[in-house]
Amino acid sequence: MDKKITIYINSKEYKVSPNQTIMQAADHLGFHIPRLCYHPKLSIEGACRVCIVEVEGMRNFVASCAYPVSDGMKIHTNTQELRRARRDIVELLVDNHPMDCHTCERDGNCELQRLASSMGIRARHFVGQRKQYGRDLSGQAVIRDPDKCILCGRCVRMCSEIQQVHNLTQAHRGFDTVVMPAYNMPMAESVCTACGQCINVCPTAAFLEKNYTQELFEKLNDPNLIKVAQFAPSVRAAIGEAFGLEAGHNMEGQLVAALRKLGFNYVFDTQFSADLTIMEEATEFLERIQNKGKLPMITSCSSAWMKCMEQFYPDLIENISTCKSPMSMQSALAKTFFAQKIGVDPKKIFSVAAMCCTAKKYEAARPELDVEGMRATDIVVTTREIAWMIKSAGIDFLNIEPETQDHPIGMSSGAGVIFGTTGGVMEASIRTAYELYTGQTLVDIEVESIRGLKGIKEGKVVMDGQEIRVAVAHGLGNACKLLDVVRKDPGRYHFVEIMGCPGGCVGGGGQPYAGVNSIPLDEDALMKRAEALYSIDRAKTIRRSYDNPDIQKLYKEYLQRPGSPIAHKLLHTHYKQKFPQGIIPKEALK
Amino acid sequence: MVTPLDIIKKKRAQAVARIISKGYLSTKRVYVGMATCEIAAGSKDVMDIFRQAVANGLTEVYLSQKGCAGRCNLEPTVEVVEEGKIPYKYGKVTPQKARDIIERHLKKGEVIREWLI
Amino acid sequence: MGFQNTETKNSGNIHFGMRIERKATVPEVHYKITLCDGTSCIRKQSKQIHQILDQELRKRNLKEVVSVHLSGCLGMCAKGPILIINPGYVMYGNITEADIPEIVESHLVHDTPVARLMVEENHLYNRFFRIFGDVDFFGKQMRITLRNCGIIDPENIDDYLSVRGYEALAKVLTDMKPEQVVSEVKKSGLRGRGGAGFPTGMKWEFTAKQPAGEKYVICNADEGDPGAFMDRSAIEGDPHTVLEGMIIGGYAVGSSRGVVYIRAEYPLAIKRLEKAIAAAREHGFLGQNILGSNFSFDIEIRLGAGAFVCGEETALIHSIEGSRGMPRPRPPFPAVSGLFGRPTLINNVETWANIPVIILDGGEWFSGIGTQGSKGTKVFALAGKVRNTGLVEVPMGTTLREIVFDIGGGIPNGRKFKAVQTGGPSGGCLPEPYLDTPIDYESLAKAGSIMGSGGMIVIDEDSCMVNIARFFIEFTQSESCGKCAPCREGTRRMLEILTRITEGKGCPEDIDKLERLGAMIKKSSLCGLGQSAPNPILSTIKNFREEYEEHVNQKKCRAGVCAAMLSYTINDNCVGCGACKRACPVNAIDGTRKEKHHIDPNKCIKCGQCYSVCKFSAVAKA
Repeated sequence: MDKKITIYINSKEYKVSPNQTIMQAADHLGFHIPRLCYHPKLSIEGACRVCIVEVEGMRNFVASCAYPVSDGMKIHTNTQELRRARRDIVELLVDNHPMDCHTCERDGNCELQRLASSMGIRARHFVGQRKQYGRDLSGQAVIRDPDKCILCGRCVRMCSEIQQVHNLTQAHRGFDTVVMPAYNMPMAESVCTACGQCINVCPTAAFLEKNYTQELFEKLNDPNLIKVAQFAPSVRAAIGEAFGLEAGHNMEGQLVAALRKLGFNYVFDTQFSADLTIMEEATEFLERIQNKGKLPMITSCSSAWMKCMEQFYPDLIENISTCKSPMSMQSALAKTFFAQKIGVDPKKIFSVAAMCCTAKKYEAARPELDVEGMRATDIVVTTREIAWMIKSAGIDFLNIEPETQDHPIGMSSGAGVIFGTTGGVMEASIRTAYELYTGQTLVDIEVESIRGLKGIKEGKVVMDGQEIRVAVAHGLGNACKLLDVVRKDPGRYHFVEIMGCPGGCVGGGGQPYAGVNSIPLDEDALMKRAEALYSIDRAKTIRRSYDNPDIQKLYKEYLQRPGSPIAHKLLHTHYKQKFPQGIIPKEALK
Repeated sequence: MVTPLDIIKKKRAQAVARIISKGYLSTKRVYVGMATCEIAAGSKDVMDIFRQAVANGLTEVYLSQKGCAGRCNLEPTVEVVEEGKIPYKYGKVTPQKARDIIERHLKKGEVIREWLI
Repeated sequence: MGFQNTETKNSGNIHFGMRIERKATVPEVHYKITLCDGTSCIRKQSKQIHQILDQELRKRNLKEVVSVHLSGCLGMCAKGPILIINPGYVMYGNITEADIPEIVESHLVHDTPVARLMVEENHLYNRFFRIFGDVDFFGKQMRITLRNCGIIDPENIDDYLSVRGYEALAKVLTDMKPEQVVSEVKKSGLRGRGGAGFPTGMKWEFTAKQPAGEKYVICNADEGDPGAFMDRSAIEGDPHTVLEGMIIGGYAVGSSRGVVYIRAEYPLAIKRLEKAIAAAREHGFLGQNILGSNFSFDIEIRLGAGAFVCGEETALIHSIEGSRGMPRPRPPFPAVSGLFGRPTLINNVETWANIPVIILDGGEWFSGIGTQGSKGTKVFALAGKVRNTGLVEVPMGTTLREIVFDIGGGIPNGRKFKAVQTGGPSGGCLPEPYLDTPIDYESLAKAGSIMGSGGMIVIDEDSCMVNIARFFIEFTQSESCGKCAPCREGTRRMLEILTRITEGKGCPEDIDKLERLGAMIKKSSLCGLGQSAPNPILSTIKNFREEYEEHVNQKKCRAGVCAAMLSYTINDNCVGCGACKRACPVNAIDGTRKEKHHIDPNKCIKCGQCYSVCKFSAVAKA
């Protein structure tokens, strides 16, 4: 433990640990210095200058997010001059902002709005020219509105530091500075993986998911359609936050009820197809083990990861499991097995997925996932969108009577639940693969070594004397690190789970915005969401996918067995190297 | 032991010998300013005139380029150095002036006073 | 410390090249002796000395191989009589008749200069004045940084070697420990010449004290100030000095890799630098085991794409790393975490160029030049409304008046001096009362300007201060990297307000807004660009407030620069020639021939054509 040093904040003496910034010290002491570009998971930018403080003896104000405390330092956080400087800085940001708050999707959820309010900006002194670029609506999942950007650089750092996609960067100089993909390419043609983390960290509405709520309301009011819903595991663990609850509340029953109230005829659950994914994936894995197939096998359920792999790691395509994501399996079944079951024309089935993810919007549009010439998932909405729809439809979400999902493709085991958090797919797979391989039941089914928020986690299980080494990465940046290991040492692991977002789906790009006193992707919140899922798992009597009776029934009635030809037709897909702008085919380089 | 200082002294001696072998001890040394600013003002053409003159048999002249001495508004500059005399510096030298400097100053020893800085 | 001691110690080894590698083509003259024949020296028996010298040469049969010249006053009267022996530029001072035989015997016969008699002030910079006698312009200058600029052939390493080039490096490698080098630089009191004026020695010490491992040395040659060309001239005129400084820096801090970051718009400087690096490698001044020592160092060149902000050290480092050139908050300073996260010693071209001199002549000597807090000399690019524009190097403490009026020759065309703007686009404008401000970091800052990298623009009464402030902020706002909000947004707002004022649309609150924004941007911005960007505005408001008020309240520009506020009228001088009428592009002038004409102010676009063509001074602008 370092020796404590003495600092003075607003003339009062405090003992604090050295080796921290003024902001960190102040946070502990109960002084919340206003901030904007700062994010604890990202590098220090020092760009917004909102967190400036006065340090005696320094000619200029210093950015408290970047400046370390030192012994005897005299800090002032709230002098008149400082207040005015901060206010003017925020006003300057506001002056170059569209100020169309009433019609903005982030109205009420905007950090700039909150900041302007806390600064007491009641008049504007420096109004002048405003930036006008127009929106980039090309992306299927993420849209960009540079007019609303205040250039805090959080998206840039998120995209490059955490996700290592490096799609976004600042371009041009001075007042003309703008965040854009390389060469100002449309998002759709860029290397954007649609993970949506830029949306998560954006303080304003400069990045948003492509919104399908109006279209969905229209379809919900179409009496000729059979509206079928599914929702991802982590949606239930996070949606409460959009209604003012603390993170970590399981809102599964309320969500099912609300979806029915919105007009869905059937409410299924992506967790069902998560169980199904496990059956297929575990089978595929055992096949690879037994037939000396390509190893390590790498999971394929994260859509952002799939795009990332196709453009940055095409050499690993053979390692990727051919299983579709649970969402696409679910939709495929809804339009085949389920339509048959209730005896309607599959074309009348309208399949909607409520996802924690923005990339799933991109995935849904992939042509190779079509089923019998039909698009499998017709609309994907994010947790945020579905929460807004529930509010907009006047449904009292918090006080609604919980309901349960519909059969035959709505019931799930505990294994399907934990899909929503990093390590969950691996853990669920191990539970099933163990039994399939050894014929024995795995007793200690909670695999602690691959739980939690460590970037890269490793674990091993012994099945019939054979050691199976597994690794788990979440966030594309960690994935890249792990895959570089895999590239160098392919024999190191047998099975690798990769989730595109920090924390897995619980930290998805479509999850509710951070509330007034919280920060986006706060680790505590991610842990609480994950814990909500683990507690659902623990509460279930059926915790292994192959024990799910609906799954057993599905195989018996329709799919025959995991990996059967029909299962392959409906539940598996293929991947191809992609060449978005900037990724040049090797042949072209020669 | 041979120290770096020994080496540098030897190198300097060699360098001086090389410079001298190029005619440094000639009666007159001519320096033409050849920095970007001087070139922009036209010193390349001036340099060419002097080079040609030397190539065409102008003897007793050591010709070299130099960097900018800071006399911006008077560029291009040409300097004629004779040992023991205050150097003559010509400002705003044009190719024509350069020819005259060669004919009158370098060949006949007549200093063209009105062009001096 | 210094040349003399070293020479004495090794005097047996001294050769100035005359007996080595002599080629058949070498003229038979071995030495040229220049004897000062100024009045003062004559008084000190220089005539007699000349005679004795002649006798001695005759006696030893040296008449054929040694030529003797008499020169005019060499300006070192206190040390007279002065005798210079070339090549080698060895200067003897205070010589008496009795010294001559010894000099001839030792120096001319045995190639061994007489250390005892060599002038103490035989510093590297002295030579400049022996070659340049342009007293008006160079009289008050002192050339240390630019000591070789305009003297040697920058593309020939022999020229540099002949003027004691790389001797400082050899000296450092021969008998100085890295700590001694650092302490010598500290002793010199040298401060960063890039603008901020941070003590160079401390920077070196911080970097040297970092744990061993990969360290970098960077030369900042990304000179971006409009109108500034100090660094370009220094590199174009004497590239080896910069390299030598960097190699010494590398030795002092324990680095083996150097980078020169230079803007791509300087092709000639780049070419000469490349040539110099190649020559230095060839001679073993760069590369493995430099000069037979166990110190290795090499230098590469990185080109900047012309962003002004890349002169800021952290932005420059980002740019070298391949990222967008944007500054980052400090600490950590580059000395701790710089290029690729490694300790990095980054100095400006001018700073590096001082290093060899400091090593050869000693930090103590260097610290004797200049003022209390600012040592040595500073190079300025003198421009604007001044007779002699150009590059000047003066000792710190020289007053602005001396530069503008003595070196610069004052304001041309009989106009009146109004202000001098120092420090490039982010410096302040200082009016007449500040002319006697000595140039050093503190005094300039106190006066409301900055040293900056050394731009100096003289402004006369024909310039509008509001317009000048607008010009500078237009530059800085367009060169802002766009990272931090105060600079990105604030400078644009200042530009808008100033534009408004110069267009006659300003209101009294605008001046307050400028001051408020300016103060905030100065104190809140991330890097030096933003922190100094408001200087031209704040200093002009402070010193020329009445001009702002006239613009705002009376819609009047006293200099007649702001077009929107001008009005053209025709007075009684008009003879009705019709020249103005024909020249007017918008037919705003009406009048019958041979009668007084009239300008319709509603049509007039204030282009000034009528004013230019009128031969009778009948068109008045106000």
